[in-house]
Amino acid sequence: MASAANGALGERIAEWIAHFEHHLPAQAPLRDFVHHNTLHGYQHLPFFEALASAGAKTGARAYWPESRFRAELARGRIGRDDLAAALDELGVEGLDEQLAPATSRRELLLAILCGDETTSVRTEEAWLAREHGLDADPLFALARALTVDISTVTDERDWRQAGRDRWRALCASVGRTSTWRELLEQLFAVDVLATVRTVLQRHLAAHLDRGLAAWRNPDRERGFYAAWRASAGADLQWELEELPNLRDEIACLPDDPLSVLAEELPRLVPEALWPAYCERLLLELPGWSGMFLRCQGPGDGAERPPVAMLDLLAVRVLLERLLCEEFLRRASGQALTLESLPAWYDERPAEIYVRHAWRTRQLDEELAAELAHVVGRALEARFTVDWENWAKRIAAALPEPCPALRLWRLWRALAVLPEAARRWDVGNATAALQLAAALSPRQRGEIWLLAYERHYRERLFAALAANHGRGSSPRPVSAQVVMCMDDREEGTRRHLEEIAPQVETYGAAGFFGVAMYWQGLGDGQPTALCPVVVRPDVLVSEEANADAARLALHLRRRERRLRWRERLYQATRGEALAAPLLTAAAAVPALAALLADSLAPAWFGQRLRRWREACEVRPPSELALNAETQAAGTPEAPRRGFTDGEQVDRVAAFLRGIGLSRDFAPLVLLLGHGSRSVNNPHRSAYDCGACSGRHGGPNARVFAAMANRREVRAGLAACGIVIPDETWFVGAFHNTCDDTVEYYDLDRLPAAFLPPFTLLRDQLVAACRGHAVERCRRLASAPPDPSPAQALRHVAGRADDLSQARPELGHATNAAAFIGRRRMSRGLFLDRRVFLISYDPTQDEDGCIVEGILLAAGPVGAGISLEYYFSCVDNEAYGCGSKISHNLSGLIGVMEGCESDLRTGLPQQMIDIHEPMRLLLVVEQTPAMLGALLARQPALQSLIANAWVLLAAQDPESGVIHRLLPGGGWQRWQGELAVPHAASSLDWFRGRTDPLPPALLPVAAHEEEK
Amino acid sequence: MNDYLSLLHDAVWLVPLLPLLAAAGNAWCLLQGAPGGDAAEPPVVRLSEWSALGALLLLLLIDLSAWLYGMPGERRLGTWFGTASWQAEISFLLDGLSLPLATLAALIGWLVLRFSANYLHREPGFRRFFIVLGLFLGGIQLVFLAANSLLLFVGWELCGLASFLLIGFQQQRTTATGNALFAFVCNRIGDAGLLFALGLSAWWQGGFAWPAAPGSGVGIELGALEMRVLALGFVLAALVKSAQLPFTPWIAKAQEGPTPSSAIFYGAVMVHAGIYLLLRLQPLLARLPDIQSGLLAIGLLTAVYAWLRAQVQTDVKSALIHAGVFQVALMLIAIGSGWTALATWHLCLHAAWRAWQFLRAPSWLELASRRPAPPPAWLARHRGVYTAVLQAFWLDRLGQVLLVQPTESFAHDLRRFEHSFVDRAIGEPGQGEAIDPALPLLRADGWPGRLLATAAVLLQRLENHLLPRGRGGEAERHLRRFANYLANLENLLEQPRYLMMAVMATFVVIL
Repeated sequence: MASAANGALGERIAEWIAHFEHHLPAQAPLRDFVHHNTLHGYQHLPFFEALASAGAKTGARAYWPESRFRAELARGRIGRDDLAAALDELGVEGLDEQLAPATSRRELLLAILCGDETTSVRTEEAWLAREHGLDADPLFALARALTVDISTVTDERDWRQAGRDRWRALCASVGRTSTWRELLEQLFAVDVLATVRTVLQRHLAAHLDRGLAAWRNPDRERGFYAAWRASAGADLQWELEELPNLRDEIACLPDDPLSVLAEELPRLVPEALWPAYCERLLLELPGWSGMFLRCQGPGDGAERPPVAMLDLLAVRVLLERLLCEEFLRRASGQALTLESLPAWYDERPAEIYVRHAWRTRQLDEELAAELAHVVGRALEARFTVDWENWAKRIAAALPEPCPALRLWRLWRALAVLPEAARRWDVGNATAALQLAAALSPRQRGEIWLLAYERHYRERLFAALAANHGRGSSPRPVSAQVVMCMDDREEGTRRHLEEIAPQVETYGAAGFFGVAMYWQGLGDGQPTALCPVVVRPDVLVSEEANADAARLALHLRRRERRLRWRERLYQATRGEALAAPLLTAAAAVPALAALLADSLAPAWFGQRLRRWREACEVRPPSELALNAETQAAGTPEAPRRGFTDGEQVDRVAAFLRGIGLSRDFAPLVLLLGHGSRSVNNPHRSAYDCGACSGRHGGPNARVFAAMANRREVRAGLAACGIVIPDETWFVGAFHNTCDDTVEYYDLDRLPAAFLPPFTLLRDQLVAACRGHAVERCRRLASAPPDPSPAQALRHVAGRADDLSQARPELGHATNAAAFIGRRRMSRGLFLDRRVFLISYDPTQDEDGCIVEGILLAAGPVGAGISLEYYFSCVDNEAYGCGSKISHNLSGLIGVMEGCESDLRTGLPQQMIDIHEPMRLLLVVEQTPAMLGALLARQPALQSLIANAWVLLAAQDPESGVIHRLLPGGGWQRWQGELAVPHAASSLDWFRGRTDPLPPALLPVAAHEEEK
Repeated sequence: MNDYLSLLHDAVWLVPLLPLLAAAGNAWCLLQGAPGGDAAEPPVVRLSEWSALGALLLLLLIDLSAWLYGMPGERRLGTWFGTASWQAEISFLLDGLSLPLATLAALIGWLVLRFSANYLHREPGFRRFFIVLGLFLGGIQLVFLAANSLLLFVGWELCGLASFLLIGFQQQRTTATGNALFAFVCNRIGDAGLLFALGLSAWWQGGFAWPAAPGSGVGIELGALEMRVLALGFVLAALVKSAQLPFTPWIAKAQEGPTPSSAIFYGAVMVHAGIYLLLRLQPLLARLPDIQSGLLAIGLLTAVYAWLRAQVQTDVKSALIHAGVFQVALMLIAIGSGWTALATWHLCLHAAWRAWQFLRAPSWLELASRRPAPPPAWLARHRGVYTAVLQAFWLDRLGQVLLVQPTESFAHDLRRFEHSFVDRAIGEPGQGEAIDPALPLLRADGWPGRLLATAAVLLQRLENHLLPRGRGGEAERHLRRFANYLANLENLLEQPRYLMMAVMATFVVIL
């Protein structure tokens, strides 16, 4: 009977656990870091609603604080016109209604938003009168006269009622937005988990550890619950904390975590609240819980233990009940249980009232200090407190709001003169003050965000409109360069085009349509190089193109170097005998290395790499590209190599997708990208998002090799893409951190292509230098106004500098994405803020291609943009804090210091120049076709219709821009902003360190003829 | 040549002073409300970095001269303060122990400053970090270079303070501030030992010079008991600073600060200060085999403890710190066995390696791909030991129960006593009540206050009683009556007969 009940409960819990995925952080272990929407679980809701409900659940902020937005207003990143337009967009009613003489609701709202948000209380009024002669201000006298009758008495003064209300609200929140522990913490300022949190975190870290600890829990293979129970049962801590009965209870626990839950949950909350309560419990340690959920699985023996959320839940629920009841017993001196707690305090409203006032810090210092002592001692049995007396004192001392001051501030924000103010009557004043009070934090956040987005959007649209018909493809084309859609490559492409007007550039998701497992020479494990949602079924490996002896030599040396490095670092931290010996041997080189890295990081890094290469004698390599069988592979057992048919399909689909199916240039260069930096646990976050946070070089190499094969070209010709013999594909890898490019398989480049290739390579080097100069403008430690060579040296130094917490700026400031031909944006300075995805609407009659692009690139772009957004608006809740105190834990994530939750999201250092706004997707296509697309694709609907990204359409013919409104429906954009002209990128950004608006760059003369 | 040399050697006081001056300069800017922001960072860094480089170069020059012309030995620069019976001197000792260590510390300090300039860019408290690091660099040089224990104590305290401030660098995190306090309180135990030894040293030795080797004819010969007591004080200080048992838990909690500060404090330099102190005391310890064997035992225990702890750590910083403590314990074992040269070499090499390893801690994902070799199976499967090790043998908890909680309770009781009795007795300003309803301006609280007020009231009454309230008051009446008497007396005396009588009476008296 009991087991049947348990079985049913087990099924229900499995369901809850599946649901927890929505609200716990979903970050993967750091090696596999990929950007994703931090609030992925709320994506079915409209954006603003999602923010509100996430905020209600976690208490996190969903927008920048208003003060920050006001600073942006002062900096000119938001205009008052943007705020006014945001009010319209939000659909505030009666904006033009005159609420006061010569003042509309709109003006009032603007004044409320732009004024400062300090609370206006009586004590402040008295202070202003004393120190600044406020009483002499005629405006203030008027304000006082108008607000005399406005009642300022709040309900809080009736302490009996207020205390009871507060208590009932607190009790009602248990299981919804708080746990018993949180309630007790709210009330008593005592964290009952504090004594065991550290050891619980250690157990969690030990269970999830992927190779840091040498010694693991002996019961680790039996799952977390068993391991914890065995260890906690042997723990002397319970005695030291004077909690011996906890130990007894743990000793008598059943073996099955499900039985623990079945027994403990009813003691906590009514059955209806169980799932919500469990989720709240897990959200108390969101990082560890999320990682636990992420790592769930049966395990594979010694290295990966079984991880089951059920285990963690059982431990948390058990500890919750035991610790809370133990605390209550001590605090009240009675045998209080959680069940009887609500009734107990319902009769003691005074205590609740006093404790609440103390916790929320509404009291003046003197009273608070006195109270703190009393409240602290109240937990001791022999100390009694006269709560009622205290409640009376506090009720009398609560700050009293001062409407006159508020009205006076509002008038000042409105620039109302005393003459004009005289015409206001009491009704006007009341209406104005009510309007201010009625503006909720959520509305304020929405208005500011909409205004912020509009400011950027208007300039972007104006630039797009002005650029329509200016940029077009050069003829003849000397080379075609395909890069990743990444916003960082916008800069590279622009500089390349400025230097080499004959070059045409394209952008696409950086895996180039080649989803594969990749195994480089000497790699132990294959890695998947494709978007995370795709599971490849083909493995491509790199093989030595040399005799066996040379390969063996290389592998042996490489293996030896790695083994010694590992041995050096591991032994000096754990082995008894080897540690002092290795320390002694390595000390002097280490000090020298530290000195060299500090003084000349770029030189030292380069030197090290050269030595390494010279020592390892890396042989030339080739790809094992072609499949030997036709049998299909699976993600678990991938087939080695692509068949000819697959190769044709992949190349054709990709080329069609970017609109490059005719007019091939002599050279087509594919640039995968990644970022190399040292001493950076978050390195994957700087890499190619379309390759699951890895380097995209191999994809470019594989694609180029496929497109160069005679068999593939024949196949392509059969399906309408004719690549002439005068065209050669080259794969390369662009390092976005030090702005260098590495080319693959140049030994196979036919001699005829050498001159154009050399030209292109030189052009690309120059472009990278120019790009480095542009990047330096946002880097505070870069030399001001550097020469190209200086800039390149600086960025190269950053990549190798151990001390550099910002090797590069990653996707910071990303704000928009264009899906269309390059002519849409060629000739525009976009400040490295725009994802550029190539798409030719003229080759896409039925919209299938754009549908595919939106489905693939939409989530990638949105994931990046939203992760930056959330990490930026509340770095404490959604981001992972500052890198300076980060401490790598279990090789899976970072903690702050030595005992903290696992921190997920982006570090402060990645977002400090970011401007948090939603991604604006501009597609070169008609609104009609996009509307049809949205209607038939539910995946896009949740993203676009729910406004997690904003969508606009630019008509390919006329260049008219339509914007998708939040409620659906398209609105034609009619802005009249002038777009500045600049002689070159360098000219536009020289000497500027702030974000720059788009500008029109000159286009080459032969382009304008067209 | 010799003049230049001695000038150079005497300039050694600049080595600790330069970083302190830089810290003072930065602190002055901070106090003056210098603006923050990106532009404010380079001057802060430049000042700190150049001062540290200056100290390093000066030390290198001294090293060079020492290498060419021999060790300069002790340099007395002046007397700080003193009495007839004892003197506190400003003196530095430049010998084969202090010079390499000071140079190494200056080099690592300079490198860490350079490292921090990038690492802490845009961090709130950027300036504060460099001020505190400056304090530390000055303090640690005082520790290494001082020729007497008093000067060492000054440096010792500067290091302790700097360590406290950097553990709690991120003031918004309660774990960080709590752990900073824990480390600070633990270190005060060592300070107590050091102060104890200082006091005895002044009393018994008439100064703070390092105890000399027996038979060298320098200083005052101490008795066996005196030596032991003195040594115990120093040893306690050394054990706490180098985090040996039973004080090891504080260093595990000290990893909350920014990584560069963890590297220089607990990885590379400060953790070795205790070992340095013991090396400095070697002449004394060599005569105390019982204390040496005690050190050996503590070293062995700590080595086992730290090795076990290092095996279970799941985060890089904790793993490294326990590995560091393990090697420091090995140095203690070497000292306990009398192998001081080995300990000195080990100290220098360990400091250099650990600085590098700590600063590279964020790279661990790349550096280590495999799990390290597990401990032997008989140990690995022992649940009780595993739990004990994971819980650090409950040492910090024990410290909490045995030390902190009683202190806390005592402080609470004191607070209550003060609140209920002392405060009431002494009274508070502004809280007084009128003693006499007739005199509302005269307010008093507390016994002394009341006493004074009552006295004032009484005097006031007297005054009111005596002095004329206008004309015709009590005093005037009495005075008038008294003046009347005097006038009568005068009139009588003016009569010749009475005058004669008076003259005659005078003569009688004279004769």
